[in-house]
Parts: sequence; C-alpha cells; structure tokens
Amino acid sequence: MGLKNPYLPDIVTITKVIQETPNIKSFQVVFDDPEKMKSFTFQPGQVGQLSVFGVGESTFVINSPPTRKEYLQFSVMKVGEVTSAIHELHEGDKMGLRAPLGNWFPYENMKGKNILFIGGGIGLAPLRTLILFMLDNRKDYGKITILYGARTPVDLCYKEDLKEWESREDLELILTVDNEYPGWTKKVGLVPNVLLEMAPKPDNTVAITCGPPIMIKYTLIALDKLGFKDEDVITTLERRMKCGIGLCGRCNIGSKYVCKDGPVFSLAQLKSLPQEE
Amino acid sequence: MNWDHYMEKRRKPLSEKGLREKISQILKEVDVVISWKMGFDPIHATPHFIRDEKEIEESVFNVFCVHNLTTYLPFMKEKVGIVVKGCDSRTLVQFIQEGLITRENLKIIGIPCSGVVDVKKIMEEIGESPVLQAEILDNSSLKIRTLDGEKFFQIDSVLAQKCKTCRYPTPLIYDHLIGEPIKSQIGWDKAYEDVTEFDKKTLEEKLSFWKKEFEKCIRCYACRNACPLCVCQDRCIAESRDPHFVSQKLELPEKFMFHFIHAIHLAGRCVECGECERACPMGIPVKMMKKKINYEMKQLFDYETGINVDDKPPMYTFKVEEEKIKEHEL
Amino acid sequence: MGRNGFLRKDRLEAYLNNLSKKGGLYVPKEEKGAIVFRKYSGVSELSLKKPATTPAKSIIYLQSETFFRFMFEKEGNGLDKVNVRIQENMDQEIRIIFGARPCDAKGFSVIDRVFIDTDTQDVYYKKRRENSYIATKSCDSPSSGCFCISVGGGPFDEEGSDAQFTEINGGYLIEAITEKGNIFLESELLEPGETYLEEKRKRKEEVERLVKEYCERVGKIEPLSPKLRLFSDEDFWKKHLSKCLSCGVCTYLCPTCYCFNITDEKTFYEGERIRSWDSCMFFHFTLEASGHNPRPDKFKRFRNRVGHKFMFYPERYSGQIACCGCGRCVRFCPVSVDIREIVLELMKSEEGGRE
Repeated sequence: MGLKNPYLPDIVTITKVIQETPNIKSFQVVFDDPEKMKSFTFQPGQVGQLSVFGVGESTFVINSPPTRKEYLQFSVMKVGEVTSAIHELHEGDKMGLRAPLGNWFPYENMKGKNILFIGGGIGLAPLRTLILFMLDNRKDYGKITILYGARTPVDLCYKEDLKEWESREDLELILTVDNEYPGWTKKVGLVPNVLLEMAPKPDNTVAITCGPPIMIKYTLIALDKLGFKDEDVITTLERRMKCGIGLCGRCNIGSKYVCKDGPVFSLAQLKSLPQEE
Repeated sequence: MNWDHYMEKRRKPLSEKGLREKISQILKEVDVVISWKMGFDPIHATPHFIRDEKEIEESVFNVFCVHNLTTYLPFMKEKVGIVVKGCDSRTLVQFIQEGLITRENLKIIGIPCSGVVDVKKIMEEIGESPVLQAEILDNSSLKIRTLDGEKFFQIDSVLAQKCKTCRYPTPLIYDHLIGEPIKSQIGWDKAYEDVTEFDKKTLEEKLSFWKKEFEKCIRCYACRNACPLCVCQDRCIAESRDPHFVSQKLELPEKFMFHFIHAIHLAGRCVECGECERACPMGIPVKMMKKKINYEMKQLFDYETGINVDDKPPMYTFKVEEEKIKEHEL
Repeated sequence: MGRNGFLRKDRLEAYLNNLSKKGGLYVPKEEKGAIVFRKYSGVSELSLKKPATTPAKSIIYLQSETFFRFMFEKEGNGLDKVNVRIQENMDQEIRIIFGARPCDAKGFSVIDRVFIDTDTQDVYYKKRRENSYIATKSCDSPSSGCFCISVGGGPFDEEGSDAQFTEINGGYLIEAITEKGNIFLESELLEPGETYLEEKRKRKEEVERLVKEYCERVGKIEPLSPKLRLFSDEDFWKKHLSKCLSCGVCTYLCPTCYCFNITDEKTFYEGERIRSWDSCMFFHFTLEASGHNPRPDKFKRFRNRVGHKFMFYPERYSGQIACCGCGRCVRFCPVSVDIREIVLELMKSEEGGRE
C-alpha cells in the first residue's frame, strides 16, 4: 500500500445530530470502515478535519472523550461556507474525516492537581472532551471546577451534560450569562468578571480556558491577577487551517503551527512566540 | 513607426531641486508625501514615503519613475501629498469621480512628463549581468554599465509603450506644477491604432493570440493588485467561494474568466496607466484588453476616463434611452 | 559512463532529443517576454542565457493538482442512501529538468525538508520528487538582485541538483552529482570530460569571485533571532512596506515558497479536491470564517514572510535559511521592495541578532 496519504479522508456516517443552540449543532459520527472504528485512538484535545465533499474542509475538536468510543462527536457553529454545509446534513449522510491531528491536553502533568475549567460559548467543546475524560478517571485528579458562560441561556452548549454535572457531588459547576435574562436565576456577568469574583486559589491548580478571542484575552488577564503561573494556564487556539499537518504554511504563530504544534498551548509557550496582534 | 515629432517640447530637463523644494513646502501641510527615490539598482526607482524633512533629499524624478503612485491613496486616511505624471493624474480625476478619495486631504504636485522607459526592455537588451551604473545623457540617451561593459540606449527606443501614444503629458489636476506644460500631438485615433489594428484579425487569429499569451499566465494577480482602480482586491472573484465562479485550476478557462472579468470590472474606469502590464512578470499584454473596452466606451457613451472631475462614469449611471445603444431594435 | 562528460554545442539538439525519450523533458524556453519551463520541443526556443522567469519549482511542485476525485453513488435500494467513493490521483510521470539554476535546485531542498522529512509526508510531492532528475546549469555571472552566496548558496552550488553542466570551450561539461544524475551521462554523444575539469575549475573560481563581489554589499546573512526588538517594532515595518502592493509576485516566483490552499470543486455527482499555490501576502490567507484576521495589515504579512524565511524555518530546521538568494523577488517586484535591505537592517540591530 505504501506510505499513508495524509490528505485522504476516511468516510464517516452521521449517526445523530443534536441542536445545541440556534447556531451550534453537534454531530455524532462513526467510521464506515469497522476496522478503523475499532482501532481508532486519540487523545483529549486533538482535532479532526471534517469534509463536506464538494464544499471543503474545516477543523473541529473531537468533542467526545477517548474513553467513550462508540462514536466521535464534533460541535459545529454555523459561520461560513463549510459549517453551513455541515448544518444541512442529517443522520445517514456521509462526511470525510482526517483525524487525529494536532497535540493534546497534557493531562499526565495534571494528575493530582485541582483543575479549573473556564469556557465561553462554543469554547466548552474542547473542554468537554477533557472534562469527560477526567470524570472517567476521576480519582487521578483533585478538585474540578467548571466556570462556563454564554451570551444568553439559549446559547449554552451541552445542556444535557450541564444538567448532569450540576447534580454531581465530585465537581463544582458555575454557570453565567452575560446579561439578565427572563427565567434565569443563576449568575449574571461576563466570564472573566465572574472569575475574579470567584477568586479561586492558584495553588496546585491548572487553569484551562477556551472561548471567543476577547473572552480568552480578559480571562488570561484575570488569571494573571489571581496569581496563576504561566505554565499552569492552558488554552486552545484557533486559526484558519487547510492541510492540518503543518505543511501549507498558513496557521503559524512564529515557528509554531497551530495545527501541528497546537492547538493546545500553555500561556508560557504563547508568550515565547512573536506577539503578532 | 517614426515617433520623432510627437512631442511639442522634447524632454525638457526637470529641476529636481525645484521638486524637492516644493515637497518641502507641502510637507508642512500634510502627514506624508509620496514621491520617488532610486531603488535597488541604478535603473529602478521606487516609491518613497516622506514623513520627515531629512527624507526629501533622496527624492528624484527621471525616466525610471514608472510607478503610478496614486494606487496607495484609496486606503490612506492621512493628509497626503503626492507627485504625479500626466497619466497618474488621470487616476486622481477618476478617483474623484468615483468618490474614492477626498480632494481636500490631498496636495498634488504635477510634473509634465516626456515619457518613462520600459525597464524590462532595457533588462532584456542588457542580458543577465546586473547594472552597476546608469547615466542619463543630455536628456535623450542612457549610458548603462554592467559587468559586461557599457551599453548606450536612445531613450526613445526604450520608451514605455504607453508613452508612445501619450495624449496627456501634462497633469490634468494639480496644486503645483513643476516645469513647463507639454502638449501632445497624438490624436485619439492614433492612440487607439493598436486596438483597431488588432481588431482587423479574424476571430480565430484573436483567440489563438490570447490563448498563447495566457498560457504564460500564472494567476499571480500582480496585474490586479497593481491596478489603482481595482479596489475589491481582497475579495476578488478569482478566489471567492461565495459566489463561486472560478476554480483554482491553472487552466485556460479559469485564466480567461479572471482576466475578462477584471477587464469588464474596469470598463469606464481604467485610465490606461499601464501598471497592470508593467507588473506582469510574464510579459502578457493585459493592458490591450482594457484599452479595447475603453475604445468601446468612447463609441457607446462618448466617454473618456479620468479627464474631468465632474464627469460620471457611464457604468455608474444609466439613461432610460441611450443614444447609441439600439436596444429596441430586433 | 564515468561521472562526467563533455557535450559539443552542435550536438545539444541530438542529446536533448535522446534525453526526451527517457521521460518528460522540461527546459527553459523563450516565450515573448518571459522564460518559462516547458516540455522540450526542439532547441530553437531553448534559452539558457538568463535564469528563467518562473523557477523550476512548478515542474515538481505543481501549481495546481488534484489530490483525489470523489463520486457520489447510490447505496443499495434506499432512496436517501448515498455513498461517497474516493479515488486517489497519483502522478507517476518521470520528469527530467535540464537547465535550471543552482538556486532553483536549492529551492527544492528547502521544500523537501517540509514535505518529505516529516511524519506526515506530502505523498504527491514525494512521488514526483523521486521520479525527477534535475540538471542545473552553473551561472556565468550574477543576475540583477541575486545574492546566493549570502545565504549559503553559490553559482556552482550542488545542493538539490542531480547533475550540473558548465558552459565552456564551445560546449557543456556535464557532471553527475547524485546516482540519479547518471541519467544525463548515458549518451554516446558525450566525449570524456576529464580534460575540461581544469577549465571548469578556473571558471568556477572566476564566477564565484564575481558573484561574491556583487554580494559584498549584502554580506553574509545569518538566521535572525526571534527575540529581535526590531521584529515587533511596527514603525520599522511600516516604513519599509508602505510601498508594498501586496500583489504576491514575490511568492509566485520564489523557488522556496510553498504555501498552498486546498479547495473542492463539484459538479452534481462527482468532483475533486485541488491543491493550489497560495500567497501569504494576500489578505484572505489567514482570514477566518468569523471575519477575524490575525494579519489584516500588509506589513504584518510581509513581516511574517521575512520571519518565516529567516527565523521560523531556521528554528525548525537547524539553522537552514529558507531563501536561495535568486533575487527574483527583488527583480520582479513592481515597486522594488528589497528584502535584502530589510534583512540587513534587522541583522545590524542588536549585534547581528544571532541566535
């Protein structure tokens, strides 16, 4: 057969479509090739390139944890050409998938520590993978706190998961929305502000954050104020990607490619790269 | 062709000192002055953005100042001073017609120009060896020294194609004029002789000609990006997925599609500054297509681009009954 | 046959005719205003006098190629069951390039490191590279704007070439550099080349001296340090790049540029996925679907280009600079942006900016 062609996608079939919010859908897929489905492994945080043949490819984090392998889940927000085309698909439709790509959360180094997840909007997608992975290996980790916010309650993702997490004893879930909303009785406020309010202690804690660029920016400032060290703050980045394997030269920040050396980076790593923006 | 008596005044020496003094004067009223300075070798000038008195010393004006500096204006928010030749000034007039620049924020230094050289032609004659020195002798010839020795050129023999049929050597719009105005003897018919000659070919000959030229095209979009009037560069149809008219294949249909659409988008807007053809690394005569469309613009709408600030480009307006379009005739 | 051979000029046509039988032979041809690599069809338009306008890169790293075709097919009897079948499009053609320059060949070794020396190899490029044979012509003089010696290359540089030929004594001395290069010496039209070696050595010395002199004003370019203060100084970049038109000519004519795009084309029930060259100088290169763009300004894009060639690539590949010094970007830039000038200023700041 020769060397594997990294540009050829595997064919996957959609087994379930979940409407998370008005513009976000989650797609559960299985490989058409049962051997591939059995042998497929990945790490939490890795991504895949989903193709709609004839339209194009786009990068999404593998949303389901490697400990639950009946299907792979991807959450897609409708913003452009490819994501709009994906939103038109139903159960039984075919897509292409190139996975796993990129690096993953350094969960080995987090064992025994407290974990603080800070997510905004669809930013909960990569975090969900790690949260479920950690919950499936609960005893390896200390206190788990999840701070998650969205613009309105309607925009909160994974409502089923949120309900389950709220009822669990072994983690703390804090939900917030940006502004007051009829029927919403929980916290109100932007995620970085609520974080400052919570004032979690940085000792033996790793903070993992993902969300819209502006939320990440202010969250990082807040974490710094609270005394979190750069090596203990982890984030996942987004860039326009095409090849996904570090060849097309597009998604670089300095000498690092977000598709290959990322998308997971620690704040310490990011600070060592050229500050372009 | 005998180009001998086409200019009323032949190649008057320009006072570069006069130019620098004028730049110094207007620098007090604007944030930046765009002029030329010498570039990476003695036969290349390069655009020079002057923000400080010290930088004025380097500015020049000679036959190597081929660039149309007005291309930077639509994207600049500052108060700008600019140096223009005759052909460049037409771009300014067209910008004003289309509302792409604010006249009040602009200070224009006009230079009546006797023509610039086709640098590519010189480089082809010289061969591989780099140019070490270039001198303009009594305003009519060039002495160029390379590693292989010296070569002399009559400026008229290496003049840019567009300059041979120039009808507007003196800028049409300016705040200050450096030098004596120059009048052209070329009439409209003479200027468009290349179009009418080409039109005499059969359809097969024309297609064969363009097929051969576009074989060379590498879709680098230099022609598009060098064009001062092409302001939708960042969202060009050649690369757009929505609407999706052109694929990314490097084949003739795609190339024809891009070039023809580009030319049509410039209908009634192209001022024939020639930057597209100059920027093309493959030597494709892309200006000819736009010239042909300008020829048609004149026949249909009696309109010439970049002449009067009060004109309205015909593709921006419509009349219920067009004089020369017999749309109701079967 | 030995490792070298001499070809008299009057035998060039016959030699190339024979060579063209071994595979697709590509030579630089004069085409009214440009010199481009085309399939060989006789010596009348062959042009070896100047480096070609477009580098030989496009022969092996195609500007536009199909990765695979896909077909939608009905599966079984279900009305809504549609399957997708993929068909890989692997190119097996043998390609022989005769008449590139050493800077072209250096460009290939820059691209090889990215596309082949990795665990996710670009199988299309790799296959074509394996099936290609490159003979470069050594230079007789520097070209306008070139600076190969400054970046570790040279007019007689052998990196990336399978064979090299030098024009001397009314003919060409052809020397094989790699095993593959022997394909250029399998011809009965060649005479023994040993007697010409001394002449070639003298020519090499002379031309290297000329080129070195011409490159003197540039000097030796070392990889830049990413910590350079000037790198993040926006005013420095704005000053140099105000005149840039963001046109992309520099990237399309560069032997070492390799950035690409992947797009899908479809007609009803079938289509293809195409890889095509792209340019980091264009606005949409990093434009995200949300509308956010990390490099909206042209000076930021150019800064990234300089950074990539002289900082980021050397960082990943043990100090190798991703520039072969051919000078095309300087020669063909419509506004004469001079990358050498910018790199020199960066180097001079902060004591040479060595890593």
